[in-house]
Amino acid sequence: MNILTKRIIKFGIFALLLFSPELFAHGERALEPFIRMRTIQWYDIQWSKNTVDVNQEIVLSGRFHVAEDWPNAVVKPDSAFLNLAIPTPVLVRTATYINGAIVNNSMALKLGGDYDFKLVLKGRVPGRYHIHPMMNLRDIGVIVGPGMWIDVQGAAADFKNPVTTLAGETVDLETYGTANGIMWHLVWLAIAAIWLLWWIRRPLFIPRHKQTLAGDEDALITSLDRKVGGFGIIGTLMLITASFVQADQKYPESIPLQTGRTEIEPLPMKHDVVVKTKRATYRVVQRSLQLTMEVTNKSDKPVELGELNSATLRFFNPTLQRFDSNYPKELAVEKGLDVQPNSPIAPGTTTTLTINATDVAWHNQKLASITKDTDSNFGAMLFFYDNAGERYLASITAPVIPDFGTN
Amino acid sequence: MVSQPTTISRAAEIVRISRIFDFLLLVPILLVIIGTYHLSMILTVGDWDFWLDWKDRQWWPIVTPLMGITFPAAIQYGLWKHLRLPIGATVCTVCLLLGMAITRWFAYHLWTNYPINLVLPATLIPGALLLDFVLLTSRSFFVTAILGGMLFGAVFYPANWAIFAPFHQPVEYNSSLMTLADVSGYSYIRPGVPEYLRIIERGVLRTYDTYATPLSAFCAAVLAVPLYGLWSYIGKLFSTTRFIDKF
Amino acid sequence: MSTQASEIKANLSANPNQYWYLRDGYKYGLALLAVCAMYVGIRLYQGAYAMDTGLDSTMPIFDVYWRRLFYIEITLEVIFAIAVASYLWLTRDKQMQNLSTREEITRYFTFIMWGGVYGMAVYWAGSYFGEQDNAWHQAAVRDTPFTPNHIVVFYLGFPLYTILGMGLWLYARTRLPLYVDKISVPLTLAVVGPFMLLPSVGYNEWGHTFWFREELFASPVHYGFVISVWFALALEGTILQIIARMSVLLDKFALENQ
Repeated sequence: MNILTKRIIKFGIFALLLFSPELFAHGERALEPFIRMRTIQWYDIQWSKNTVDVNQEIVLSGRFHVAEDWPNAVVKPDSAFLNLAIPTPVLVRTATYINGAIVNNSMALKLGGDYDFKLVLKGRVPGRYHIHPMMNLRDIGVIVGPGMWIDVQGAAADFKNPVTTLAGETVDLETYGTANGIMWHLVWLAIAAIWLLWWIRRPLFIPRHKQTLAGDEDALITSLDRKVGGFGIIGTLMLITASFVQADQKYPESIPLQTGRTEIEPLPMKHDVVVKTKRATYRVVQRSLQLTMEVTNKSDKPVELGELNSATLRFFNPTLQRFDSNYPKELAVEKGLDVQPNSPIAPGTTTTLTINATDVAWHNQKLASITKDTDSNFGAMLFFYDNAGERYLASITAPVIPDFGTN
Repeated sequence: MVSQPTTISRAAEIVRISRIFDFLLLVPILLVIIGTYHLSMILTVGDWDFWLDWKDRQWWPIVTPLMGITFPAAIQYGLWKHLRLPIGATVCTVCLLLGMAITRWFAYHLWTNYPINLVLPATLIPGALLLDFVLLTSRSFFVTAILGGMLFGAVFYPANWAIFAPFHQPVEYNSSLMTLADVSGYSYIRPGVPEYLRIIERGVLRTYDTYATPLSAFCAAVLAVPLYGLWSYIGKLFSTTRFIDKF
Repeated sequence: MSTQASEIKANLSANPNQYWYLRDGYKYGLALLAVCAMYVGIRLYQGAYAMDTGLDSTMPIFDVYWRRLFYIEITLEVIFAIAVASYLWLTRDKQMQNLSTREEITRYFTFIMWGGVYGMAVYWAGSYFGEQDNAWHQAAVRDTPFTPNHIVVFYLGFPLYTILGMGLWLYARTRLPLYVDKISVPLTLAVVGPFMLLPSVGYNEWGHTFWFREELFASPVHYGFVISVWFALALEGTILQIIARMSVLLDKFALENQ
C-alpha cells in the first residue's frame, strides 16, 4: 500500500467521523422498531449543561410515557430501572428522582402512565462522551433515549466520592476498603504460597508417581508433614475466627444489602385530545409515514398538531415553529411533519387529519424495518398545542401497511 | 574406577531431568487451571463475585463455595491419589484468585473505570487450605468429603467477612437506608447490571429469626459434602489413562 | 547455591549439549512471548479504539476497526490451522520403532512445551478476555454478537487454543510411540471438550437474542461453556500418562550405555 492510498484511507476515516449522521449512537438501533416505538416513549429530555467539571453536578431531566399498546412479544414492565447508556462510569450518579420521589432501586411501571425524572450526576473521568438516558426492563433489555455530548473537564485524580455513614464517618467510595481487602487477600495468598512451596521444593511428579505405583505412597508423607497439616487446620480456623471477630467488632452495626422497591404513581395527566388512528401507511421509497386519524378536542381551546415523536425520532410541523434546536440533529426533522388540514381543531369537535412524517431518518434510525417485523404495529406520541402554549399529549398506535412502491 | 564418575553423572542427570520436567509441567497445569476454573466460576457464580452489591447473606455464601468446590475436589483427587500431593485445592484457588485479580485490575479498573473496591473478588483460599490439610491428616477422601467439604462451605462467609464487612455499614443516602456497598453499586453506573438483576436476599426468614448468615453457611457446608464427593468422582473419571483403538 | 550455579555454568561450557532434552526451549520461549505479545497488543488496541469506535455496530467506523479485525482473525486462523496440521502430519515420524530413548524424552519435553503454549492460549481466552467481557458489557449496549470483546474472546481466543489443542493431539499422534496407533481417552477429551466452547457461542448468542436480554453472567445461556470447560479436567489423565511414560523412559535411560 503506498503512502497516498494510506492517506486517502485515513482521510476517509476522518471524514466519516466528521460527517456520519449515524455516528453518535450507543447500539440502541439494534432493538426491533416495534419495541422501541411501543414501550418507553421518551420526551422533554434535557441536560442542565453540556460541560461539567470533575466533582461538579450536572442534571439530566425529562419525561417518559409508558405506551398503552405494550407489545405482546415482551413481558410487562414489572421491573424497570432508570439508567444511563454511558461509556463506563465517567459520571457518577448521586440521586434519581421519579415524579419528585427518590428512587434508588427498581420499580414497576404502569401502562399508559407518564413519569417525570431527574438524574443528578457528578463529573468523574475527563473526556467527551455521548450519553443517553436509558430504561432497563427485565427480560426485555434496554430502551435508550436520545443521546447528547457531554464534556467532563478537570483532572481525574481530583475526583472524590464522599459518603457519611450513620456512625458519622465520612469515607471516599473511590478507595474505601480497598487496602483492607487487598491486605487480607495477600495474607491468605502468602499462607497458600508457603503451603505450596512446602511441597514444590521436593521432587514432584516422576519419583512420587513411581513410589505411589509401587504401593509405598505413605512414605511420601512424613510425620512432620502430618503435624504441619494438623497445625494448619487449627491455625487456619483460628485466623478465620480472629479475622471475623475483629471485623465484627470493628463494624458492629453492619446491615444486609438493601433490596426494597419503590412504588411510584404515574403523573396525573389530562388527556383532553383523543386520537383514533384509522390507517397508517409507510411508503418505503419516499420514506414517509402517512397517518389518517380522527382527533377529538375535549379541551376548551382550539388545538393544533405540533409534533410526532416515534422512538425518540421527532417530526415537527413547521407552521407551529416549535422546533427544538438543542435536540440531537440526527433525531430531529424540522419540517418533517405535513398536517392536512393544517388548521386549529375547535373545542368540542372531531376532525379527520391526514399527516405525513417524511425523512430519511426513518431509515437511518432503522425504524423503517417495522414493515418487516413480526409485529407491525407502530407507536408514537403526538403533541398538540393550544393558542396559550399548553401542550396535550396523545400516545397512538396503528398497524402499518407497507407501500413498497411496486404498483 | 574410570566408569564410576559417568554413572554418578548419569544419575545426577536423571535427577536434574526429573526436576526440570517438574517445573516445565507446572506451566501448562497452572495456566490451564487459571483459564478453565476461572471461566467456570465467572459463568456460574458470575455477578455474585464481580460486584460488591451482590455479596448478600443468602445466595453469595451458598453459590460461591458450591461452584468453587468443583475444580479443587477434582484436581485434589488426581494429585493425591496418584502423586500423594495434598495441594490440589490450594493450587486451584490460588490460580483462580490470580486470574481474577489480573482481570479486575486491567479490565474493570483500567479499561472501564470501576473502582477496585466495587469489584474486589472473594477468597476461597482459606477453605481450600482446610480441604488440603484435612486430606493430608486424614488420608481419606471420605473424611475429606465430610469434614473438609463442610469446612470449605462453612468458612466461606466468615473468612470473607474481614474483606467485606466495612462495606456493610449503614448510610442514610437520599433519605433512605443503604449500605456502602449499595451506594457504590448505585453511584458507579453499570448499564449492563440494572438493580433488579441482583439475585440477593430473596425469601422470608421468619422461621429462623434473623440468622440468615449462619444458616447460609450451614447450608453451604451441608451441600458441599455431596458436591465434594461428586467432583472427586469426576476427578477420578478424568484421571483415566485409558487408550482405545479407535473412536 | 553459588557453587552449584557456578558448577552448572562450568558444566555447561564444558558440555553445551547437556540440556539436550530442552532442544525446543528457545522456540517455546518465543511462542509464549508471541502469544502474550499478541494478546497484550489486542488489549491495547481495545483500550485505544473500543470506546470511540466500538459502541455501536451499525456505525461505518465499527466496520473499519472491528469487523475488519474479525475477518483478519478468521483468515489467519484458517491459515494457521492448515499450517499446523499439515506441518505436523507431513513431518511425522515414519520410523518410530527406531526411536532412541533420548529422542523420545526430548519429544516429551517438546510435547509439554506445546502444552504450555496451549495453556497460555487457554489462560488469555478463558480467564482474561472471558471475564473482561463483563467489563465491556458495562460500556456498550449489546447490539451485535460481534462486540469489540466478543471478536477477541469468541473468534480469536477460543479458535486459537482449539487449534493449539488440535496441534497437541496431532503432535502426540505423529511423534510419540504411545499415541501412534492408539487413541488416548484423556488427551482426546481434554482437547475436544473445550473445543465445544465454539458451538456454545451460537447457543449463547441465540439465548441472548430471544431469551435472556440481560448480561447476568450465571444465566443458563452460558452453561454450554461451563460444561465444555469442565472437560479440561481430562488433562489430569493426560499428565498421568506423560508422567508414567517419562518414568519408564528415565529408567531405560539410566540403564543405557552412553
